[in-house]
Formats: sequence, C-alpha cells, structure tokens
Amino acid sequence: MLPIDGFIAFLALFALFVGLGFGAVHWRKGDLGTLHEWALAGRRLGTALVWFLVGADLYTAYTFIAVPSSMYAVGSIYFFAVPYVALTFAIAMLLLPRLWTISHKRGYITAADFVKDEFSSPALAMLVAMVGIIAELPYMALQIVGMQAVLSAMLIGLSDVATVSEVSLILAFIVLAAFTYTSGLRGATLTAVLKDILIFLSIIAVMIVVAVSGGFQSAASHLNLVHTTLPTKFYNAYWSLFIMSALALCLYPHAINGALSAEDAEKLRKSTSLLPAYGIGLAFLALFGILIYGNSAALAIVKLFPPSSQGVLVVPSLILSVLPSWFAGIAFLGIFIGGLVPAAIMAISQANLLTRNIIKEFKRDITPQQETTISKWASVVFKFLALGFVFVIPATFAIQLQLFGGILILQTLPPVFLALLTKRLNKYATMAGLIVGVASGLYLMEVANQFGAWQTTLYNTPLGLLFIGVTALGMNLIVTVGGSLIIPSKTTNPAHQKS
Amino acid sequence: MKSKGVVAAILIVIPFVVYFAIPTYNSVQPTLGGLSFFYWYQTLWLAISAALFFAAAVLIGRKP
Repeated sequence: MLPIDGFIAFLALFALFVGLGFGAVHWRKGDLGTLHEWALAGRRLGTALVWFLVGADLYTAYTFIAVPSSMYAVGSIYFFAVPYVALTFAIAMLLLPRLWTISHKRGYITAADFVKDEFSSPALAMLVAMVGIIAELPYMALQIVGMQAVLSAMLIGLSDVATVSEVSLILAFIVLAAFTYTSGLRGATLTAVLKDILIFLSIIAVMIVVAVSGGFQSAASHLNLVHTTLPTKFYNAYWSLFIMSALALCLYPHAINGALSAEDAEKLRKSTSLLPAYGIGLAFLALFGILIYGNSAALAIVKLFPPSSQGVLVVPSLILSVLPSWFAGIAFLGIFIGGLVPAAIMAISQANLLTRNIIKEFKRDITPQQETTISKWASVVFKFLALGFVFVIPATFAIQLQLFGGILILQTLPPVFLALLTKRLNKYATMAGLIVGVASGLYLMEVANQFGAWQTTLYNTPLGLLFIGVTALGMNLIVTVGGSLIIPSKTTNPAHQKS
Repeated sequence: MKSKGVVAAILIVIPFVVYFAIPTYNSVQPTLGGLSFFYWYQTLWLAISAALFFAAAVLIGRKP
C-alpha cells in the first residue's frame, strides 16, 4: 500500500480540487441560471484558458491509461496517438474558429444547434445529438477505469480493494456532480488547470528519474521489434488510426463545447495551433508503456495483477516504484482528477445536447431557466450512468468501447464539418449517410471480432489491416455526397439568406 | 493577400506529409538515449508542428 504521506498528499490536493470546483462559482461571476453562462462559462475564456480546456481533452484516462496500456501489451502501433495529436490541432485551428464565429452570431451552444439551422432539419440535429451522447458514454467510462487503476495501485495489499475503491469512486462522483451542478464549466475549467499542472509535474519527474538512472538503455535491451519500430503490416492501420482519430477528436461534443467557450475566434485559433507542443507529455506517457520493461520494480508491481488488467496499471506502477511516496500521492491525484475533470466536461456537453436538441424539440415552450435546470440535472444523471457502466462492464472492454465511440462520432463529420465548408449538402442524403456510416461501423466491428467480444477496431482489407473508422466514414461520404449531387439542397433556409 | 493563404496552407500541410511518410521514420537508428528513431522523431515533430501551425494561425489572423 502507498505509505501514509502519499495518502496525505492525495487527500490534501483532493480538498484543494473540491474547493476550486465549488469556488469557481464566484469566478467571473455571471447568471448561472442561463445555459451559456453555466455550460460555456459566458464565452469569456481567453487564450490560456482555452488551451487548458481544449487541452484537457489531451490529458484524460485515454492518455495515461489506454495508450500506455496498449503500448505495453501490443506495441508501437499505439504510438499513432502522437501523429494524431499533432494533426488534430491543424483540423481544429482551421474549422473550430469558423464554427465559433457562426455560433457566436446565432447563439448556438452545441454542434447540433448549427446542424439544425444549416439543414433546417431538427431531425438531423436530433440524430447528431444522439450519436454525440452515445459516443461520449464509453469515453466517460474509460475515465472511471483510469481512476480505478489509480485506486488499486494505491491500495495494493489491502484485503478488500474492490469495495474500498468502489465506495471512493461513488464519493468522488457525488462531489463532482455537486460542483458541476453548482458552477458548471467554470468549475471544470479551474480544476482542469490544476489537473494539468499536477500531471505535467509528474510526467517530468518520472522522465528525469528514469533518464538519470539509465532507464532508456535498460528498456531498449529488453524490447523486441514489435516495441521498437512499426511492423510493415501495420502501415495502413497506423495512418488510418491517426488521421481518423484526429478528425474524431474535434467532433466530440466536449471538444466543441470547450471551443465555443472561447472569447474570440482568433484567440481560439492561436491557442489550438500551439496545442501539438502540449502533446509532448502524451508522447512521454506512451513511452512509459515500453520504459516499464527496463524497470524491474515496476514490472513486479504490474505482475501482481491478472494479465487482463496489467496494462492499465503501467503508469501507476511506474509512478509507485520511481517517485518518493509523497510525490506519488500527488501524481496519483493528478491522474485521478485527470479522469474526473474530463468526465465533468463530457457530461456537460451531453446534457446540452439532450436539452437543446432532443427535449426542446418535443417541448418547445420551455423557458431558458427550465432549459438550464434540466441540463444541470442531466449532467448529474449522465455521470452516474457512466459510473454504472463501469461497474457492469470489465475494464479492458471499456477501452475498446471508447475506440468504437470514435467510429461513431466520426459519422457526424459531414453534417458538422463538411457543412461548414459547403452549403450543397442535402439533408436527406446526409441523414442517410450518417445512418449508413453508423450501421457499417457496427457491422464491421462485429465482423472484425468474429461476432465475439470486442478486441480490435482493425480489420483485414485488400490493403492490409485498416481502422474501421475509415471504411465507415467512406461509406457515409459516398452516400452523403452522392445523394447531395443527385438531389441538390434547396437553400430556402432563412438563416442562409441572412448570412 | 492571397499569397498569405497559400503560405499558411503549405505550413499546415508539412506535418501531414511528414507523418504520412511512415517508411521514412520507421527505423531504430539513429537512437536518442536508447530510444529508437521511430519514437523520438515523431515526438520532435510535435514541437515543430506547433511552431508551423502557430505561424499559419498568425498569417490567417492578419486579414488584409
């Protein structure tokens, strides 16, 4: 078990985290009874805060748990996360400021708001909102898997780790739900800054200790080829994973939510353009997945666990064996809130989609105050839904589900990003394309996994292994673009004539 | 000015070309502190990409 000074550091910083979360309600005070104040922090975040909020998407459990875990277990192919991070911000800096400008002018809060006006189609908007909500769920579940991994590393040796960690998770989520309800995106933003500072400190500390002790050389001597370079049969899998993930990240409702909270389009553009540099920490974390092979103490901790959960413990074990216990406590808290903060932002963005693009379509007469109240409660419900998900589904499965979430959210590319670039898309064709994309993605997942438990998102093509997202998006685009050429869109939408 | 847009586009495209050319960086040698080229080269390009994208952002931002 982690020595007591580690626990003290962890709990003291957790108290600071809770204080920031609730205290944020007084920060840049606004009327939190309105949705754009609660969910977008009044659209007043400058360059630095947007950096932290959009960058918050970089340092989630995906980064400290899923990527190192796969690097450890599978190998170099999961380094695709690095080109993915570099290229996603090229896409972000080009498209998100455009979406911001339109949203600011017309008061949009979600991407589906834009879709609704752009296509004059509440039905298509509802479809986009539903895909967004569903795609976020496994992503949130993954955050909780990461938090569980931290707790099990801290509690090694305790007799009933499972009960203690489940109770801790539930308590943490009650606190999180309470402060997100109270302070909305303000709370998430301030705690995101704390989270990133702690995580960066920890990554740098681990890297220094490992480098000084010659960890790279000793890891290199233990590695086989799967871990040092990319086997040629994975070339197509590699590029298809990184380019599709790059497109997917910018489409996630929480990423768009973060972008729309910027105070102006140019600050948003400059801030996102610099974010690839922030990804260097992610590259280091990915490398932890192979560095662990050179650290026998960390490897011994990992081996205490059953093979299926060894991967997720790579980073916690390395921290435990490399850093002094008080510092390990700080690092663990960083990873722990590194799951909580993104989960809060994701739940806020899901809640906005639910109220604005689904509930409001059925109940048109709700007041802005009611709209906000429903969103606040929905954000609470979504958090606990994700938590329930984790208690039911095994951890390794949650990682695969997150990748499937990526395939799903990619299918909203034509109505959101393509529609930013052209006005020629037909709404029926786009709707059909989205449905074809989702269905083919689901079908190929089943085929690739021989209709059994989901283990992979790659499948065999004449080009070799390929990420399913490419094919699903390809079929979507064929239907959307092909259909739009046959039945051109009528630009009778008043929103178009105004602009 | 139109040429600014062209320059910005080129700056943005460079990292795409670099990362898509997988065979050009898929090797162990030269290593950096024991780390194979495959890893440190792609990590280094994160910093270069940020610099190129930022330059492009400044160019796009300065509307004539």
